[in-house]
Amino acid sequence: MSKKNKIEELREKRALGRLGGGAERIEAQHARGKLTARERIDLLLDKGSFRETDAFVTHRTEDFGLGERKYMGDSVVTGWGTIDGRLVYVFSQDFTVFGGSLGEAHAQKIVKIMDMALKNGAPLIGLNDSGGARIQEGVVSLGGYADIFLRNTLASGVVPQISVIMGPCAGGAVYSPAITDFIFMVKKSSYMFITGPEVVKTVTHEDVTFEELGGAMVHADTSGVCHVAGDSEAETLAKVREMFSYLPQNNMDDPPYRETSDDPLRREEALDSIIPEDPSKPYDIKDVIRMVMDDGRFFEIHKDYAANIVVGFARLGGRPVGIVANQPAVLAGALDIDSSKKGGRFVRFCDAFNFPIITFVDVPGFLPGVDQEHGGVISSGAKLLYAYCESTVPKLTVITRKAYGGAYDVMSSKHIRADYNVAWPGAEIAVMGPDGAVNIIFRKEISEAEDPLARKDELTADYREKFANPYIAASFGFIDDVIEPSETRPRLINALEMLENKRDSNPPKKHGNIPL
Amino acid sequence: MTFNKVLVANRGEIAVRVLRACRELGVETVAVYSDVDRKSLHVRFADEAYLIGPAPSADSYLRMEKLIEVARKSGAQAVHPGYGFLSENAEFAQLCADEGLVFIGPSPEAIRRMGDKGIARATMKAAGVPVVPGTEGEQRLRDEELLAEAGKIGFPLLIKATAGGGGKGMRVVTDLSEMAAAIQSARRESKSAFGDDNVYLEKLIEHARHIEIQVLADQFGNVVHLGERECSIQRRHQKLLEEAPSVFVMDDEDFRQRMGAVGVMAAEAVDYVNAGTVECLVDGDKNFYFLEMNTRLQVEHPVTELVTGVDIVLQQIRIAQGSRLPFGQEDVRMRGWAIECRINAEDPFNQFFPSTGVVSEHDVPTGPGVRVDTGIFGGAAITPYYDPMISKLVCYGETRDQAVMRMRRALAEYHILGVASNIPFHQNLLQDARFLSGDFDTQFVENQFSMQEVAGDLETYPEIAAILATLVAHQQTERSAHIDRDCGNGISNWKRSGRWKEMGH
Repeated sequence: MSKKNKIEELREKRALGRLGGGAERIEAQHARGKLTARERIDLLLDKGSFRETDAFVTHRTEDFGLGERKYMGDSVVTGWGTIDGRLVYVFSQDFTVFGGSLGEAHAQKIVKIMDMALKNGAPLIGLNDSGGARIQEGVVSLGGYADIFLRNTLASGVVPQISVIMGPCAGGAVYSPAITDFIFMVKKSSYMFITGPEVVKTVTHEDVTFEELGGAMVHADTSGVCHVAGDSEAETLAKVREMFSYLPQNNMDDPPYRETSDDPLRREEALDSIIPEDPSKPYDIKDVIRMVMDDGRFFEIHKDYAANIVVGFARLGGRPVGIVANQPAVLAGALDIDSSKKGGRFVRFCDAFNFPIITFVDVPGFLPGVDQEHGGVISSGAKLLYAYCESTVPKLTVITRKAYGGAYDVMSSKHIRADYNVAWPGAEIAVMGPDGAVNIIFRKEISEAEDPLARKDELTADYREKFANPYIAASFGFIDDVIEPSETRPRLINALEMLENKRDSNPPKKHGNIPL
Repeated sequence: MTFNKVLVANRGEIAVRVLRACRELGVETVAVYSDVDRKSLHVRFADEAYLIGPAPSADSYLRMEKLIEVARKSGAQAVHPGYGFLSENAEFAQLCADEGLVFIGPSPEAIRRMGDKGIARATMKAAGVPVVPGTEGEQRLRDEELLAEAGKIGFPLLIKATAGGGGKGMRVVTDLSEMAAAIQSARRESKSAFGDDNVYLEKLIEHARHIEIQVLADQFGNVVHLGERECSIQRRHQKLLEEAPSVFVMDDEDFRQRMGAVGVMAAEAVDYVNAGTVECLVDGDKNFYFLEMNTRLQVEHPVTELVTGVDIVLQQIRIAQGSRLPFGQEDVRMRGWAIECRINAEDPFNQFFPSTGVVSEHDVPTGPGVRVDTGIFGGAAITPYYDPMISKLVCYGETRDQAVMRMRRALAEYHILGVASNIPFHQNLLQDARFLSGDFDTQFVENQFSMQEVAGDLETYPEIAAILATLVAHQQTERSAHIDRDCGNGISNWKRSGRWKEMGH
């Protein structure tokens, strides 16, 4: 065979490999409104940047007639490419080959790029669309899953890992995404569960659809398994790209700085009047966040889950930051089980990947209730507290209004190593709200008064004036400064610059024992 | 009354135009601006500039008391209103007079009389100026009276708002059965636009051309006309291209003088002072009818300036200062031909939809016979708050043919990036056989000219498109083969600390 023909042969093989499970199955995938593994990679990565690995790998099973059915590359496409020029490793399960099922070859391909990501300090993105384990390969596929789980765990906190669920992801397969840092899901075409509707029906006699059991919205607002849900595959992948712009390559590097045209000294006068006169009236903390951050941009994580706390990424003076904020517009911003878990996980991600954490505090305390107590709000709340305590990245805290009780301590207080704590002039930092405090301190005096209600109002007003302000806390040095709301942005940017080279560490240990 | 400091109560190209005239006369200038106009050209051109409020014109350029306050604060003794905004507002002219400020324009009385179309018609009729048959606005006819009058006037006819302008509150009715509904909608529109729902009827002159007479009048009763302008190229009553002289009048000097005399008569009828324009409808038999008088500087005044050599804005200021007109009617000669294209930020391929945004590049044509009046520069923004005009491109030639050739050349040199412009419209219009032959009326653009027809021609450059696409693809391939080394952070700690560890630390 002449040289020319060798090259021709290679090209033919490649062309064949690119077809995956064949034209018919590609058509079927399209008919379901879904893209193919390669089309998804093209949408995710910079155009033309993808370099494929293991395109010639095939499975080795001869049983059950699989020997005659071999597809180049097997049921997953792997390799690397760039997003905005930055290196990222990618695997994309190919539903057109054996329904994207995972066998030995499939797992080995993923393991290979995971090892490369860990060696080269670059993020890993997995696009999941798989029917599950390849039954014909038996226990070998189970081993394959475990190889991946182990690497997900070892890579956790070393390089960012993102999972995008674009089809089925069921059974043991869910645990790889579950270990990764963020799960994106496509609405209406993806689902995740440990046991499917049929098993549920058999065991508990509950009738439930795929969508109801493990669709994107269920996980986005009820279980919290899904961090970001997109309307379509294209939109979901665009959101991945957007979030990626905030992430560092690894735990040694800083998140990527971007020039901004938004003036670092910009004062936002509207903030001076954003807090309603009545302390029980809500306002949207996201308005505050957008007004302070560069270009009003805020990439929110877990938008629909535990909305009483708001978390996400933004930039301040071009530097990416993680934001944690109580949301007074939902449950008055009180902390509860879900919001503590949500906040805790996010704080730990920020700490692992060198994001300064900006905390906006307006919290009346923890949410009371039997559900909460029996549901373990004690250990859940402790997760958020623990996460803040152990974090060593720059921590900046702005108390916009209420900071009551234990929740004050939890929300990045000075005492748990926050670096720069400021309060707006209307802030109330106290053990509890004036109402509650007066009831306890002056119980006797009120009950003995001629007009108990009037006396109580009088005492409450008195207490509010004396204690419900930021100056008591400031007098103890618990607050570094009281600032005008409009100057929040310039103050935070200046403090970030001051903390640019912050060094802090925890005592040597294998790892802490966070109350999981 | 003499003055040496003028407040220009306007924005955009016209403010710049007036400021230039002031500078040439050695008069000091004061500009005003809204929040979004802070960086505008007129602000830079003026000696002083004052912020007068937020972007919406009702909160800034239309705030009379604020303008008076700025005039007082800055020591300006006169106000030039430009066109639009308060230029035809009798109340403002009166307020200026009451405050001892010279209003560079006609008297409040003249503005008032010409501003109400009904009164204007009646005044003109009384002065012997021919008017389009119709009802009189000041009668404030009720719906049923209008319906009765409609039959007398005959169809087609126009319903017009007495307080109207720019096509607002105007309806064309071809049949009695449509009348009632049309009256209602015209009233509604007029009410919301001008706060007055009074309407009147006017016979629709078919195949009419819109020709107007520029007049100048000083305070000593001298009135001259500066010949005609042809403004029939309109879309939805918005002028797009104007010429002086009119291709319809051409060498018919007698016709020109007859129309000019009517213009002068109209001005004299209201004791008009300063620059004004008498708009006429002209039918195919050279019958002309008074339409309205614009008691202000017109957008299209440059074409007259080019063919007569008279600086109209400069004359406005001199007249307001009390100077006599330095020339008489017999001195006015039209020489050569001028065409003005209004370059607007509108997409001619999408129903002239306004296109807002930053004009990232504004590369204006120059060279012989080319004049560009603009308030826009590279980096300036077209906002939704004001009209979307980018500039007025005016070309002069010895003949109409030469002016057309120059305009084609200038349009080809003109580059605007960042917003869509109607340059393609003008380019196509200037290739149109009917436009070139002069055979058009006010309905021409809407009824006989289509961008869609010419859009097909855009595909005549597939080679260029293919070459460009290839270049872009090539660039992308080159870029995608490259991976950032440091992700914008300058160094990779991963690599550095990894090496450090390897060395046994």
